[in-house]
Amino acid sequence: MRKLLPRRRLLIEGPGAWLAAGGVALSLLMVLALLALIAGRGLAHFWPPDIEAVTLVSGERFAGQPVREQGLPGQASGSERLYRTGNRDLDGDQWRWVEVNAIDTRTTPEDLVIIERRRWGPFIGRLLRLEGPEAQWTASDGAALWRELEERMARVSQLRHERDALHNHRLEPLAEHVDDSAMSPSEEDELREIKARILALQDAMQRDHVVLESLSGQRLELSLEALIEVKRPNAMSLLAKLASWGEGVWRFLSEGPRAANTAGGVWPAIFGTVMMVLLMSVLVTPFGVLAAVYLNEVAPQGRLTRLVRIGVRNLAGVPSIVYGVFGLGVFVYGIGGSLDSLFFADELPSPTFGTGGLLWASLTLALLTLPVVIVATEEGLARIPDSQREGALALGATRSEALRRVVLPMAVPAMLTGVILAIARAAGEVAPLMLVGVAKLASQVPVDDEFPFIHLERKFMHLGYHIFDAGFHGGDVQAAMPLVYATALLLVLVIVVLNLTAILLRHTIRARHVVQAHR
Amino acid sequence: MTERSLSPSPWRRRFRYVRDRLFTLAVTACGIGVILAVLAIGVFLVVEVVPLFTGSASTANSDAIDIESLWLPQQYPGYDEPQYRWQANAATDADTPMFSLTPLAWGTLKAAVYALLFAVPLALGAAIHSACFMSRRLRFRIKPVIELMEALPGVVIGFIAGLVLAPYVERHLVGVFALVLVLPLGILAAGIIQARLPWCLSKRVPLGWAGLWLIPWLAGLVALTLGISPYLEVLWFDGDMRTWMDQQLGLDYATRNAMVVGLAMGFAVIPTIYSLAEDALAGVPASLSEGAQALGASQWQTLWKVLLPAASPGIFSAVMIGAGRAVGETMIVLMATGNTALMTLSPLDGMRSMAANIAIELPEAAPGGVHYQLLLLCALLLFVFTFCVNTLAELVRSRLTQRYQRLGGTT
Amino acid sequence: MADETSPRQAALHEVVQDIPREGRCFEIEELSVAYAGKTALSGLNLYVPRHRVTAFIGPSGCGKSTLLRAFNRLHDLNDDVDRQGRIMLEGQEIHAPEVDVADLRRRVGMVFQTPNPFPMSIYENVAFGLRLQAALPKRRRDEVIEWALESAALWDEVKHRLHDSALSLSGGQQQRLVIARTLAVQPEVLLLDEPASALDPISTLKIEELIRTLKSHLTLVLVTHNMQQAARVSDYTAFLEGGELIEYGATDTLFTNPRLARTENYITGRTDR
Ligand SMILES: Nc1ncnc2c1ncn2[C@@H]1O[C@H](COP(=O)(O)OP(=O)(O)O)[C@@H](O)[C@H]1O
Ligand SMILES: [Mg+2]
Repeated sequence: MRKLLPRRRLLIEGPGAWLAAGGVALSLLMVLALLALIAGRGLAHFWPPDIEAVTLVSGERFAGQPVREQGLPGQASGSERLYRTGNRDLDGDQWRWVEVNAIDTRTTPEDLVIIERRRWGPFIGRLLRLEGPEAQWTASDGAALWRELEERMARVSQLRHERDALHNHRLEPLAEHVDDSAMSPSEEDELREIKARILALQDAMQRDHVVLESLSGQRLELSLEALIEVKRPNAMSLLAKLASWGEGVWRFLSEGPRAANTAGGVWPAIFGTVMMVLLMSVLVTPFGVLAAVYLNEVAPQGRLTRLVRIGVRNLAGVPSIVYGVFGLGVFVYGIGGSLDSLFFADELPSPTFGTGGLLWASLTLALLTLPVVIVATEEGLARIPDSQREGALALGATRSEALRRVVLPMAVPAMLTGVILAIARAAGEVAPLMLVGVAKLASQVPVDDEFPFIHLERKFMHLGYHIFDAGFHGGDVQAAMPLVYATALLLVLVIVVLNLTAILLRHTIRARHVVQAHR
Repeated sequence: MTERSLSPSPWRRRFRYVRDRLFTLAVTACGIGVILAVLAIGVFLVVEVVPLFTGSASTANSDAIDIESLWLPQQYPGYDEPQYRWQANAATDADTPMFSLTPLAWGTLKAAVYALLFAVPLALGAAIHSACFMSRRLRFRIKPVIELMEALPGVVIGFIAGLVLAPYVERHLVGVFALVLVLPLGILAAGIIQARLPWCLSKRVPLGWAGLWLIPWLAGLVALTLGISPYLEVLWFDGDMRTWMDQQLGLDYATRNAMVVGLAMGFAVIPTIYSLAEDALAGVPASLSEGAQALGASQWQTLWKVLLPAASPGIFSAVMIGAGRAVGETMIVLMATGNTALMTLSPLDGMRSMAANIAIELPEAAPGGVHYQLLLLCALLLFVFTFCVNTLAELVRSRLTQRYQRLGGTT
Repeated sequence: MADETSPRQAALHEVVQDIPREGRCFEIEELSVAYAGKTALSGLNLYVPRHRVTAFIGPSGCGKSTLLRAFNRLHDLNDDVDRQGRIMLEGQEIHAPEVDVADLRRRVGMVFQTPNPFPMSIYENVAFGLRLQAALPKRRRDEVIEWALESAALWDEVKHRLHDSALSLSGGQQQRLVIARTLAVQPEVLLLDEPASALDPISTLKIEELIRTLKSHLTLVLVTHNMQQAARVSDYTAFLEGGELIEYGATDTLFTNPRLARTENYITGRTDR
C-alpha cells in the first residue's frame, strides 16, 4: 500500500494564499497606522513639552521646543531637528531647523517660560520682572513672583470679562437702537458714560507689565493684557503636566479658534457640526422612514417599484459633491433666492437666504443621507415576518393600524441604525458643505439669545471643514498641524462611536430575530 | 355568553376606515414625493445644463460652447498649437477663459485608475483570504473593523495624504518604490519561514490568522525599508532621487501627485471593494467548493477553478462600485493633489479632477453663466457615470444572488 | 374521470340537503383562486354550517390554506392573487364594494399554523384587537381579557404573569394566546389553519378540547392534515385534492363510508390510484 503523501514543505497553500493574507494584513496595518498617527499626534498636542536651551557650536543660543527630526536631504547620515522657537516678532519666524551636528549643548533650565500671547504667537525665553504701579518682582523673588503674576492675570481676565459684558449687553444694543433713530440727549449721555467706562477698564487692564528676555538677549515689555497663559514646562512635575494636558483638552473643546485658525479651540466648529447634524436628522428621519414604508408596505410590488428601489439604492453611490451642486442650485439660488426677493427685498443685494447657510446645508445633507435611511429601514421592514402583519389584520386591524401598532414598532431598531449611519456619514461630509454654507470663521454661532434664537440662514463652522481650512489655507501650516491632528481625532472619534453604536444595534436586531425564529 | 356585547359602533368603523384611507394616502404622497425629490437631482442637472448647448445662456461669450469645443483641442491666442486647457478665471480681462473638459475628465479618471491600481489587488486579496482561508472567529471581528475604515471621512484621509504622506513620500521616494518589491517578497518569506518552523511553533502562526500576525512583520519591513531609504538614495541616485529622475528620465516630481492620491483614495475604496467582494465569495454555495475539494483539489485550486468563476460577477460589481466611489471622491483629490489641470500619465504629476474642480470653482461662479453651467455639466457627468456604474453593478449582483439561490437549491 | 362525475355531484350535494338555508354560515359559489396565473382552487361550491366544526383535509398543496384565506379576504394583500366566484357570509357577499374588510376580519377570526403572538406583553396581545374596536374603560377591558383567556383555557397559566412578554410562553401556550386574542374581539367564525401542527401532543389535545367547547357559540373551520384529528373534533369534513373539492359530508359518513375511491385511498393512506 502506498503511504499518504507528506504535506508540502514550501508554502503550504501556495504563494497566492500568502499574498492574499498579506492584503488583509496590509489593509489592517494601514488603518492602525492612520488611527495611531491621528490619536498620537492629536493627543500629544496638549502635552506641554520641555523647552530646551540650545547652544550651537557657533556659540549662538536659542530656546525652543523640539518638534521633530528628519534625515538631511541628499545625505545618508546626519539629521536635522525642527524647533519651535516662538518670538515671531523678534526673529521673524517661529520655527528653526538645526542640524543635529551643529548643536553643542542642550539644557532644560527651569526658569524658561512659554507665553501664549494675543498677538505674534508664543514667546519663549525668560521672565525677568513683573512691574506693577506700586512694586516690582524679579526672578530672584522666586515663588512670590509667580504667585503675584497669577493673581494679576486673574485680575486682568476679570476686567476683560467686565468690559466684554459691558460691550455686548449695554453698548451694542444701544448702538443698534441709535442706528435706527436719532439719538435723544439722555441716550447720548448713556452712550458716553458706557464708552468712558470701557476705556477705564481697558486702562486698568494695561496697568501691570512683564519684562521678558529671549535667550539671544532681546528684551520685550508686555502688558499683562496681551498674555493668555504663562507656563514653565521645565519646572512642572508630571502631575502638573497632566493637569495642564487636561486643561489643554478642555480649552480645545470649549474655546474658539485664534490666530487665523492656527491656534485656540474648535468649540464653534463642534457646535456647528452638531447643530447641522441634528437638523439634518430631524429632516431625514421622517422622510426616509415614510419613503421606506411606502416602498415596502404600500406600493404595489411590481417592476416599477423594483426599479425605483434600485434607483434609490444607487443614489447612495452618487458623489456627495453632486448633492452639493444640487443644494446650491435648488436650495440656495432657487428657493433661497426667491425667499430673498419675497421677504428680504430691502436687504438685497446682500443675500439673506440666497447664500449658503445652516438650513440649506442640513437639507442638502438630508437628501444625501436619505438613501441610507431608506435602505436600512426597508431592510428592517423586510425582515419582519408576514405572519405578524397577517396576525394584526386577522384581528380586524386596518392596514394603517397594523402598520402603526405592530410593524413600525418592530422596525424601530432598524430605523435607528439607518439614522445613526446617516449621521455618521453626514458628520464626515465636507465637499457639499463647501458649496452650501460652511464658513472659515463664523463670527456668530447659529444659535443665540436673539429672536428667533436659531438662525437658519447663518453660516456655521464645521469640524471637517476646519481641518481642510486650517491645514490648507492657513498661513503657518506648521503651527496649525497639531491643531488639525486634534480636530481630526475628534471627528474620527465621533464617527467611530456613531458607527460602533450602529454596528451594535444591528447585532442586537439580528440576535433578537434569531431568538424569535428558534421559538 | 353574557359578555357578548362588543358591537363596534358604525360611527367608529367609519372613522377607522377614513383614517386608514387618509394614512395610506399620506404615506403614498409623501413616499412618492420623497422619492421624486431624490431622483430630481438628475432632472435638475439636465435642465440647468441644456441652455449651454441650445445657446440661450445669458453670457456674452456663450457662442463658443459646443461638444467639439469642450472635448477637442482648441486654438487659443498666445499658443502655437491647439490645446486642451481649463482655465476658467482669465488672468487679465483681455484673456478669454478656456473651457476644455478633457483635462478634467482625464484628471478624474487618472486619479480613479491609480486608486484602483492600489486598491483592487489589496482588497481582492483581502476578500479572498477572508472568504477562503481566514479563521471564522477572526473573520467576524475583521468585518466591523473594515466597516469602520469605510466610515473614515475623506477630509481626514485627505489631510493625512496631503500634509503628512506627500512630504514623507517625497523624502523617502526610493524606500516607497522599494516597498512595491519588498512587501510581496516579505510576505512570501513569512510563508516559507512558517512552513519551515517545527510543527509546535508553526501551528501558533497558522495561515488562518495570518491577517493578524503578519502585521508586526510587515510593519517591521516597512520601517526597515524606509529607514535605509536615504542610504539607498545616496548609493544609487547621488543622494537625491528627484533630481536624478529629472535629469536621467526627464520626469518632473510634484509633491502632491497621482501616486499619493492613489494611495490615499485607494485606502478609501479598499473597504468598499473588500466587503462587496467578500460577500460575493462567501455567498457561493458551500456545496460547490466542497464538491471540488472532495475531488482532491487544494484550497487554492478550488478558489481559482470554482469560487472565482462563480463569484466573478460579484467581484466585478465590487470593483465597479469602488470605481464609482473613486471617481466622485472630492476631498481626498482636492487635498492630495496640486489641482493643476495637467494631462499626463505620470504618477509623479498632479491633476485636477471634476469633483475637486466643482468644489473649488462653483462657489465663485456666477449662477446662470457659462462657467456655472459648465461646472453643472461636470456634476451631471459625474452623476450619470456613477449612477450607470452602480446600476450595472446592482443588476449584475442581483443576477448573481438569484444564481446562488438556484445553485444552493438544486444541491 | 367521467364516470366519477355523477357520484361526485351526489357527494357534494348531500350536505346541501342536510343544512337548511338558515343554518349556513358561509356559502361559496364557483370559487376559483390563482396565484400569478397558477390555479390553486378551481370552481369550488361549498356550504359551511353554523355552530359546527367543519374540517378541510387533503394532501399538502391541495389548496386548503388558500380556501381558508379566502374566507376573510386575506388574499387581498397579495397583488398576484386572482380570485373569481362568490363567498357569502350570512347571506351577504363579502367582496361587495360596501363591505368593510377590517370589520369582516373581526367577525371572521383566524389562527395560523405557527403561533404569531406580537412581541408585546400577554395582556397587550389580547387587548390589541379590543383597543382597535372600541375605547372600553379599563375595568371592562380587563373583564373581557380575562374571559377571553379563560375561554382559551389559558387564564390559569398566565394570570400571574399577564405583563410578561408573550414570546416567553411555550409554543402551545402561544397558540392558545393567539386564539384568546382572536376570541377577545368576539368573532362569529374562527378559521384554524393547522393550529396544532407545530405543537406537542399534549398541547394538541388541549387545542382540540378547546375547539369542542368553542363550537357552542362559534362556527369553526379547521384545516388539518391529521385525519384522526379531523375525525375527533369535526362534524363535517371536506376532502380537497388538486384544488378541487372531491367529497364533502358528515364526518362519520366520510370516514367510515366514503363514496369515492379517491377519498378512501387518501383516508386509508393508500397511494395507488
Ligand atoms: N403565495 C403564493 N404564491 C404562489 N403560489 C402559492 C402561494 N401560496 C400557495 N401557493 C400555491 O397554491 C397551492 C395551494 O397552496 P396551499 O393552499 O397553501 O396548500 P395547502 O395549505 O393545502 O398545503 C400550492 O400549489 C402552492 O404552491
Ligand atoms: Mg397550508
